[in-house]
Amino acid sequence: MTTLSTTGGPGLGKRTYAFLRSIPTWVLWMLVLLWTIPSLGLLVNSFRTRNAQRASGWWAVVVENPSETLTLDNYVDILAAGAQGGLWRALLNSLAIALPATVIPIAFAAFAAYAFAWIDFKGREWLFIATVSLLAIPAQMSLIPLLQLYSGGGHLTLPILEKTVTLFPDLDLAGRHVSVWLTHTGFALPFAIFLLHNYISGLPKDIFESAVIDGADHFKIFWRLVIPLSVPVLAAFAIFQFLWTYNDYLIAVTMLGGAGQNFPATARIAALAGEFGQAEHLLTAGAFLSTLLPIIVFFALQRFFVTGILAGSVKG
Amino acid sequence: MKVKLVRLLALMAALALVAGACGGESDTPSTPETVVVTSIVTETETVTEVVTETVTEVVTETVEVEMVNPLAGTTVTVFGPESSDAEAGSHQAALDIFAAQNDMTIQYTGERSFSDLINAQAAGGNPPDIAVFPQPGKIADFAREGWLLPIPDDVIATMEANIGAAWNAFGNVDGVQYAIPTKADLKSLVWYRPADFAANGYEVPGTWADLKALTLQMIDDGNVPWCVGIESGGATGWAFTDWVEDLTLRYEGADFYDEWVAHTIPFNTPEMNAIWTEILELWNTPGAVYAEGGTIASTFFGDNGRPLVEGDCMMHRQASFFSAFFPDGTGFGPDGVDVFYFPSVSGDRPVLGAGTLVAAFRDAPEVWAVMEYYASPEYADNRQRFQNLSKGGGAVLSGFLSPNLNADLGLYQPLEQSFLDILFTAEVVRFDGSDLMPAAVGAGTFWSEATSAVNGDKTVDEATQAIEASWP
Amino acid sequence: MVGVVSVAVNLLMALGMAGGAGLWIDRTGRPSRTRRVIAVVVGVALGALTWWGITSVDKLETTATGVVVSILASGLIFIAANKLFDLAPDRWAVFTTLVGAAGSFAVFAMLWGNRGIDDPALRTVVATAIGGVAGYLLGTVERSGQRLAIGIGAGGVLGALAASGMRNVGLKFTVEQREFVVWPILPYIDYGVLAGAILVGAVLGLLLWQARGRRNPLARSLLLGGTIGFFFGGWLLPSLGSATKTDAFVAAVGVGVGIGAYLGLKPIPDHSARGRIEVSARAYIFLVPALGFIASTLIIPTLRTLFLSFHDARGQEYVGFVNYGDVFGSPNIFNVDGWAGIFGSKLFWVGAVLLLIGVGVSVLMGRQSGYRISFSPGSGGLAALGALLALFAVFAALRGTVFNNLWWVVTVTVISTTAGLAIAVLADRSKGESVAKSLIFMPMAISFVGAGVIWRFMYLARDVSKPQTGVINTFWVGLGNLSLSRGPGFWIAALLSLALAALLVRLAIRAWRVGERGVGAGAAVCALPLVWFAYALWRGVGGFEVRDNGDVVASTIQFAQQAPFNNVWLMLVLIWIQTGFTMVIFSAAIKAVPSDLIEAARVDGASEAQAFWRVIIPQIAPTIGVVITTLIVLVMKVFDIVKVMTNGNFGTQVIANEMWQRAFTELNFGLGSALAVVLFIAVLPILYVNIRRMQKAAS
Repeated sequence: MTTLSTTGGPGLGKRTYAFLRSIPTWVLWMLVLLWTIPSLGLLVNSFRTRNAQRASGWWAVVVENPSETLTLDNYVDILAAGAQGGLWRALLNSLAIALPATVIPIAFAAFAAYAFAWIDFKGREWLFIATVSLLAIPAQMSLIPLLQLYSGGGHLTLPILEKTVTLFPDLDLAGRHVSVWLTHTGFALPFAIFLLHNYISGLPKDIFESAVIDGADHFKIFWRLVIPLSVPVLAAFAIFQFLWTYNDYLIAVTMLGGAGQNFPATARIAALAGEFGQAEHLLTAGAFLSTLLPIIVFFALQRFFVTGILAGSVKG
Repeated sequence: MKVKLVRLLALMAALALVAGACGGESDTPSTPETVVVTSIVTETETVTEVVTETVTEVVTETVEVEMVNPLAGTTVTVFGPESSDAEAGSHQAALDIFAAQNDMTIQYTGERSFSDLINAQAAGGNPPDIAVFPQPGKIADFAREGWLLPIPDDVIATMEANIGAAWNAFGNVDGVQYAIPTKADLKSLVWYRPADFAANGYEVPGTWADLKALTLQMIDDGNVPWCVGIESGGATGWAFTDWVEDLTLRYEGADFYDEWVAHTIPFNTPEMNAIWTEILELWNTPGAVYAEGGTIASTFFGDNGRPLVEGDCMMHRQASFFSAFFPDGTGFGPDGVDVFYFPSVSGDRPVLGAGTLVAAFRDAPEVWAVMEYYASPEYADNRQRFQNLSKGGGAVLSGFLSPNLNADLGLYQPLEQSFLDILFTAEVVRFDGSDLMPAAVGAGTFWSEATSAVNGDKTVDEATQAIEASWP
Repeated sequence: MVGVVSVAVNLLMALGMAGGAGLWIDRTGRPSRTRRVIAVVVGVALGALTWWGITSVDKLETTATGVVVSILASGLIFIAANKLFDLAPDRWAVFTTLVGAAGSFAVFAMLWGNRGIDDPALRTVVATAIGGVAGYLLGTVERSGQRLAIGIGAGGVLGALAASGMRNVGLKFTVEQREFVVWPILPYIDYGVLAGAILVGAVLGLLLWQARGRRNPLARSLLLGGTIGFFFGGWLLPSLGSATKTDAFVAAVGVGVGIGAYLGLKPIPDHSARGRIEVSARAYIFLVPALGFIASTLIIPTLRTLFLSFHDARGQEYVGFVNYGDVFGSPNIFNVDGWAGIFGSKLFWVGAVLLLIGVGVSVLMGRQSGYRISFSPGSGGLAALGALLALFAVFAALRGTVFNNLWWVVTVTVISTTAGLAIAVLADRSKGESVAKSLIFMPMAISFVGAGVIWRFMYLARDVSKPQTGVINTFWVGLGNLSLSRGPGFWIAALLSLALAALLVRLAIRAWRVGERGVGAGAAVCALPLVWFAYALWRGVGGFEVRDNGDVVASTIQFAQQAPFNNVWLMLVLIWIQTGFTMVIFSAAIKAVPSDLIEAARVDGASEAQAFWRVIIPQIAPTIGVVITTLIVLVMKVFDIVKVMTNGNFGTQVIANEMWQRAFTELNFGLGSALAVVLFIAVLPILYVNIRRMQKAAS
């Protein structure tokens, strides 16, 4: 952080400055190392036998006899088709949950964020604050009402009149992936709107004005200007939402209930260890395998929001 | 007569229609439609058109069904806490056998956080057809809530023919039978290595006093008598509660135990405090305990297997399922790791047990058929066969014990047979008390306050008083 | 038929996946033959995988089909709605025709869907046509008398059309029985009640008209109120079922005429009014999908939570504020008894001194550079560290769930934001940037179950007679052994740190002399901990304890169990996970800072550090606001880590987990809901302040 100017004063000598200038790099890589050690331990231990995991630390792998402690069995065990289908199926389920649960809120939130940012309507500010303040709701408390909604539909008995109105039909969604998507979508929207609004409202005003002069309406402006300009923030949100939904355990198991064939990888991995944790050594391999996919996604989307598309397009 | 004839004709016409329309599609019409007709017919006479419309669709279905097995094509879902491949896999496999015989589908789902999830499912209106409860206390809660269905008499008859009354009582709430025991765990056990005992000239103790004397003798000999660890993530402390329950049964007897569990006597009576103190004094005797994780409260309960095998300690008190926690390749029996009965104070043989019971949420013939299967020796034997297979067969303990008296003992290892013998011959069997208490205590303060007491953060009085105060 | 559709959809999805992946790779960077080949291979593989995935998992296929169909349908509706309102300003007649047709269609389709009318298809078609014609006429005819006639006529005809075909019973699905049951439709009107309802509606209309400043014609307001009253009196208030068709006609035609007359009374809006209609309609079209979801998944459940929080465990009986009393009356949740301990703790005074030094140095440096106060990374960091330590002392003394939560919020937000910003800045344009960032980001990709396993390996303690298997305890016990051994290792470590400290002191003195005050201070501050380390090593540091009998034995740290600082060890896990999030956002923001601004600052003679504090920080200030707000909310709701690692035992309880335990483990929905409400209300002010500030900054 203390990168210094060489101007002013007699200075401390070239080598000292070179050293000082290299400090940030050292600090960075020290931090990276610190951040990596925990995951490294997981990776190494996932290749060690259950007895070895319990008897010595993962770094002991350097001095131990590899034929005694190293094994691929953990991976073989969890990939084998088990009680509720192997991990492959669970990973597919995870994707089937995470992909729509990422795309749907992005679409809805982008529209809403644009409306909040650039369409002038009555009560805009208050509606926005109300929407974003829903961020503060602890999602867990919504789970039971939502489960009731998915399994039995939504009904409102009007007070005094005592007539029941069906607001949401019984579609028997509980136990299906759809129920998980809908739940994730609802929970993600306040944050998505918050994040996208912050970005979209910061887009330069003149491009909108010139578009309006050219006769474009809001719909066109949204598609032709806002979406392309917002790619970085859309990608950033997509990554986070994907990771959250992919790694979610609570919402998925609550909504899917007894439908074990639809469970995502997180639930499968949690179950691997057994009721009392007899097979906890398998968790290492399971946790590592399920982490691979999100990392690939991260690498794939990284360039969208790191290369500063915004700066270029606004100027051009 | 005339009506019936018309219906028959309509039925045949409908059959032809269905056959023509569906062709190869074997999709069964959804069950709700079936219900439609009955409700309409019984409730109103005016809706003739509607009725005729639906009758044709529906009655066809019923008849098709009646020509084969009444259970054919039905689906039953089961949800339970057994989740590892060995347990959930053999549970599912045992169900699959029954399903294949009846051309139906039975789907078992196991989740580690079953206890919380089943609450959400029941409250959210989406329960499974059958749930596997590890806690009779929860069965009582659910039954009083009106979520569980009483078991019909014919299923009860099967259950009583196969399972002992002591176990069946755990599924009985206010005189109504709601649940069937399907799995048993024996808790009053001490694991040890006969070879170590023989080498040091120790005898298996016959009474609690002998056990305490043996502990002191081991310390004198420079051996560490006990391996103790009560860490279990969010459930840390439960291993201590087992000691408390076992000793309560031994010192105060079954009647006192029942009253204590039902909270007709307070949690912190002097008797209970004395038992807590007794345990903590034993554990805190210098040199008495080897704690793999540094302290008792931070030692994972499952980490006590390795030290016992490697001679870091001589004894470990834990339930029968603990066999799964010994290092891979551990032998069981007189030549490897063996057990002795956790001795009693006065020479009687009370047994502390645990296990699972199944209860039903949906009233349908297929659900009761599966429930009856759970009560049968066939389920017990099939489950044990697959459980053996999943552990690779051979002399390895399966980790499963059935409370079914008519189960085939030949499927069990000698050590497991001795467990079953203790279970079946015991005059007094009591279920793990913390599983019977309300969740706020049995899965909450009892564990956490026990941990505080073990850690020395609270005195016994403070801890039991806090538990008493938290009783809902 | 269904089979064909689903196969087609599968094929489309597979092809889409393949094509998308191929195109994406093809357009990444410069096109070349290898890239194209890779694109094709990856595309085909992905397509095959999708195909296999969709077809091999049961239910997934039907679900996927359903989803694609419903997404297409809702997309079409969305675009159609947008296109419809495009017409409003310039082609008003077309617009009103379509609106009229669509409105009539919606009403009749609803009746059709509830199996409430005979010949539903025919009636719906006719109604749509009538609605369209009426819409066209109302969009073109300008004379008010004619308009009124058109409105009344069309409304009456539509009402009659519905009433004439209305069945006495319909079918509807009920939750309790989970089946279709008949339900009565035709109303049995009590005409006195009807008249009363109309009167009440009209009076309400009058009051509203008065309240809104008498802007609209009185007749319209009265009519609107009366029609709504009619709807209540005709349909909602009477008992349904055993009625004659006459009553149905009255109820349906009356409402139809009322609505028609209301529309007929409105003149054709002028161009600017049409524009306003278009804009506000557009806002709602854009907002409705999102707000609908939010309402059903968040608002309604929250209202229910609020309701439950005033009721007993099962939500049966009203108990007033008892649950809230329990929340704040419980010493486990809210306990300030130990406040005096704050001032007795060494940590607090160390923190306070550090804070003072940091602020003091900053003031001095500020005087040098002409600002009131100037935080360099060193002095600012020192001050922040001091403040944080002092707060730690405060939270270690005030116990209970609520204070734990606040402790979490302060610690994780501050450290995660700082670390994320630091890493983003350090990594920016440095060598191996993407590798470094990916490694920091990796924990984000790990589930909480995985994180629990990972940190178990970090924090594990073991009996000291055995080799440690936990990373940190290995170091800790190793340090203790090193310190106690007084062997070669001890001397090497001690001398090495002293030598390093000496070098740093020399650098500090030199730097101070040549005027590089910042470097001097930094080096001096860095030397301090090294000297302290050498001293501590000599006095004894690390994992050991002295027994009563004078024996010195190694000892481990029980990270999860030693209160109150076990809280900090749990927070570390969340920091480890969340820093990836803050880093990514900050990194994107820093990249978006126009480089000419930084160049300009440099030309003006600013150092890198000054450029950072005076240019980059103000530029990314809104982003910092977003990150901090997000973190506060997220940390306030922290749940998974605590649940996985301690489940709230050992004094680590937080509100969200407490709530989960009460509501889901113990089925005490009253207390659980009260906790949820407390949590929500606690976060609201923070959120409100942040959002208002950001809105002000934006405008």
